[in-house]
Amino acid sequence: MYDFAYLKPASLSDAANQLASPDSKLLAGGMSLIPSLKLRLNRYATLVDLGALADLKGIRREGDALVIGAMTPHAEVAASDEVLTVLPALASLAEGIGDPLVRNRGTLGGSIANADPAADYPAAVVGLGASVITNRRTITADDFFKGVFETALQPDEIITAVRFPIPKRAAYAKYRQPASRFALVGVFAVQSANGVRVAVTGAAPSVFRLAAAEAALIKRFAVAALDGITLDTEGLNSDIHASAEYRAHAVVEMTKRAVAAALK
Amino acid sequence: MSISATSHKIGEPVRRREDQRLLTGKGRFSDDVNLPNQVYAAMLRSPHPHARIRAIDSGKALAMPGVIAVFSGSDFIADGMQPIPYNQFTLHPAEMQLPNSDGTPAFTAPCYSIAIDKARYAGEIIAIVIAKTVNLAKDGAEAIEVDYEVLPAVTGTIAAADSKAPRLWDDARSNVCVDADVGAKDATAAAFARAAHVATLTTWIQRVTGVPMEPRAAVGEYDAATQRYTLHAGSGGAVRLKKDLALIFDTPVEKVRVRMDDVGGNFGTRGMIYPEFALVLWAARRVGLPVKWTCDRSEAFLSDFQGRDLAVTAELALDKEGTFLAMRGSNIGNAGGHTGSYTPLQKGVEIMSSLYRMPCANFRARAVVSNTTPTRPYRSSGRPEVMFVMERLIDIAAREFGFDRIELRRRNLLKSSELPYTNPFGMLYDSGDYHAAMDSALKLGDWAGFAGRRADTKVRGKLRGIGAANYVDTATGAPRERAEITVHPDGNVDLVLGIISNGQGHETSFAQLVHEWLGVPLDSVRLITGDTDIVSVGGGTHSGRGMRMGSVVIWNSANEIIAKGKRIAARLMECDPSVIRFADGRFAIENDGQAKSIFEIAAAAEQLKDLPDDLRGPLAAFSDESFNEASFPYGCHVCEVEIDPTLGTLEIIKYSAVDDVGRAVNPMIIHGQVHGGIVQGVGQALMEQCYYDPASGQPLTGSFMDYAMPRADNFPFFDTEISEVPCTTHPLGMRPAGEGGTTPALGVVINAVVDALAEYGVTHIEMPATPERIWRAIHGKSN
Repeated sequence: MYDFAYLKPASLSDAANQLASPDSKLLAGGMSLIPSLKLRLNRYATLVDLGALADLKGIRREGDALVIGAMTPHAEVAASDEVLTVLPALASLAEGIGDPLVRNRGTLGGSIANADPAADYPAAVVGLGASVITNRRTITADDFFKGVFETALQPDEIITAVRFPIPKRAAYAKYRQPASRFALVGVFAVQSANGVRVAVTGAAPSVFRLAAAEAALIKRFAVAALDGITLDTEGLNSDIHASAEYRAHAVVEMTKRAVAAALK
Repeated sequence: MSISATSHKIGEPVRRREDQRLLTGKGRFSDDVNLPNQVYAAMLRSPHPHARIRAIDSGKALAMPGVIAVFSGSDFIADGMQPIPYNQFTLHPAEMQLPNSDGTPAFTAPCYSIAIDKARYAGEIIAIVIAKTVNLAKDGAEAIEVDYEVLPAVTGTIAAADSKAPRLWDDARSNVCVDADVGAKDATAAAFARAAHVATLTTWIQRVTGVPMEPRAAVGEYDAATQRYTLHAGSGGAVRLKKDLALIFDTPVEKVRVRMDDVGGNFGTRGMIYPEFALVLWAARRVGLPVKWTCDRSEAFLSDFQGRDLAVTAELALDKEGTFLAMRGSNIGNAGGHTGSYTPLQKGVEIMSSLYRMPCANFRARAVVSNTTPTRPYRSSGRPEVMFVMERLIDIAAREFGFDRIELRRRNLLKSSELPYTNPFGMLYDSGDYHAAMDSALKLGDWAGFAGRRADTKVRGKLRGIGAANYVDTATGAPRERAEITVHPDGNVDLVLGIISNGQGHETSFAQLVHEWLGVPLDSVRLITGDTDIVSVGGGTHSGRGMRMGSVVIWNSANEIIAKGKRIAARLMECDPSVIRFADGRFAIENDGQAKSIFEIAAAAEQLKDLPDDLRGPLAAFSDESFNEASFPYGCHVCEVEIDPTLGTLEIIKYSAVDDVGRAVNPMIIHGQVHGGIVQGVGQALMEQCYYDPASGQPLTGSFMDYAMPRADNFPFFDTEISEVPCTTHPLGMRPAGEGGTTPALGVVINAVVDALAEYGVTHIEMPATPERIWRAIHGKSN
């Protein structure tokens, strides 16, 4: 680990100011950032720890949506009565992230800001058509994720919360990569008043929506509606854990499983 | 399996004495050693799999704050440091040797602890930086400028054997270092000519790594006044390490001391000397301060020795009834970037025929070097590979030629009455009941009830398969071992032995022996193994030698203590030694109330002035023996899997194992060894692999994010049974138990997977049998 200055601001505006200095980086739960620092894969002059900002933590119902603070750890989402009642798919997704240590430290905001191609939360954010609320604006899910570890966030922009519309039904089906247990392929399937959304993580450089499946499921939200759907391998990840061809097949299969689970 | 012990005697599942310490963070591992004024080392490792070192500029690094020194290969040579003294082959008299068929010696090249001219694998040490902290040492390493001439690299085993492949040593004729032809060529060719059936298999037993829970660490100190080096580092044994270091430093052995306490895993890949051990001692001498180095996990994936990596083409000839006539083929073992060890190749090919009746056999055995991390014996060195080949060949033959898999095994499995049996490579199997082990395993795995279970699975749209695999394991290892037992009047018993526990529970199982034979409480026994100032002889922990050799030298020592004790007791109680009986720790006069405890006798030995010379002083005895015979543990495993054809995902439903250990000292520990061994073997069968990018030669599995380790939730509870058919070549009837879990696991799992997929016409699947590979096999896609 290289040396860095450590700041723990007491307010969001202080945090934004501190983040404006060159080579500074926000620290949320640190479950990806700290290992990358320890491995000397990243180097920052300053880490700005959001841990003191109590306002960024918590889960609340706002009309037809759940608003979850950016600094809410996965374990809290997984155990929340509110989430378990109105959006159990999100609770089960959170319960399946990493191990207990990661779930107690890792946060929703940290996960989506990092935008790991195999992370779970991006599938929920895009699948549910959530809104990412920052200290400056609100970004729709479809505009938020831009590529491998790349988002629409400006350098000094801070996620404060994510607003998840409550769907009619939803489920997340995750195929774990055997070593990391991140998503080799993860599919979040949603049926809501606005239609159907299917978001896929792990299979490509960034989370994406499966248009063919959405079109089929709008007509009929049933596993059988997905028969015959295939996915082109173009643009899919291919690595030592799975070829693009296998991932393409797994995306369709995991979509079926997500739909089946949503219908349960 | 019973886990409640009724006594501490041999055969009882005594709870491990060391677990309280180890499970509450009280263990003392290498990284727990910290010396006053110690400084820290970081290794600069080659980023290239193959590169000539043109120049190293350490100027910037030396100018950095906290950096004390930077050393490179030229400094090492200038100091007169010697290469690492590797034994490429096991020279044990019971092992088959592998002479080159053209009469030339095997190719070997000096391997120094630090690269001198070239880096031959990504991760090879180029320079060592000494600094005040670990972080500063790493900063220093990053500031070193190395001018590399990057060379073409080869990592694949078969590719490396090609005469046109990039060559690791310019003065070698090729990368092929060993090219032997073993067995009977003409007889084998004749047997194949008259065979009714020939089963064939071409496979690669992929490269994996040992992954001990405790990463390596080393602390070196040098005392200028006595010119003595002390190394604190976990390994398989202390004495061999001391001798190796003395040769590297070209110094008398008494000038080197090695110390280790707890060692968190060995598995063979951690069993021998590592370059860093010499480097921390050398650096300590150069800078005049103790030097500590602790391996990061990512560094371990680069630089820990790796295992397996054997390319095989094999054929099995059968007559029309299914009797084996002969086998032949070719094995190529990948030694990696240095000529350090050809042992896995040797230890594999000599038992290709396993415990089947095989009239003749002929194999070509080659070892190659390649631009990969060097390989070493890994849990059951060479044998899981060849057992995999044999058990796959039998299943392939059964399916292709219409034999029942079990009947085919039964027909060819050696009977007890045929033992001792010399296999076609000259290996002499001593004793055992192979048929009984297989029958027990089939019963434990409910082979007979499988058809019904498969039907149930089919209803659920899944595929179920079952497999069986027999195995035999050649245990030899460093032949010499020594025990020293001292009974102290204060109630303690010291047991000095050259066998390090790497997690095997020696503090319990060896203490059980002493308890049984000397009648002293289990907790009175202090096991001392890890300090070469106390331990003078001993071969360490490998090749199933710990209990096998340890038990004999402990037994001999205990018997001598009893003999001495009787003479002292006779003196004390004024009787003839012949009327004294020893039992339960007491020397008693036969048919008389008088008795003395062994600790009273120990006190008398130290106090009485009028004892003969050989009885005066501490009540102690030693035994120093060489074991020139091999031992052949054996057994049979049965595995049942269920596969979801939609994604090729697999679940192990049932795993049953019967392993013969001759005589079980602590069955609980043995079951634990078998469980761990199974997991290591299944890990290889289903998920583990050290991947190298074929184009660049770069290692791709550098962390647990990419190297898939098996976890508890990948397994059902195992059904393990211990068989105890006394070993005829061991005075106490014991066979080793540490490797049997792994040896058949590769073959049995793949046999079960292929059985599940047979309805799709699948005849073989390569390891690791990942869901994608299974899915591709089901759909007839190339793998």
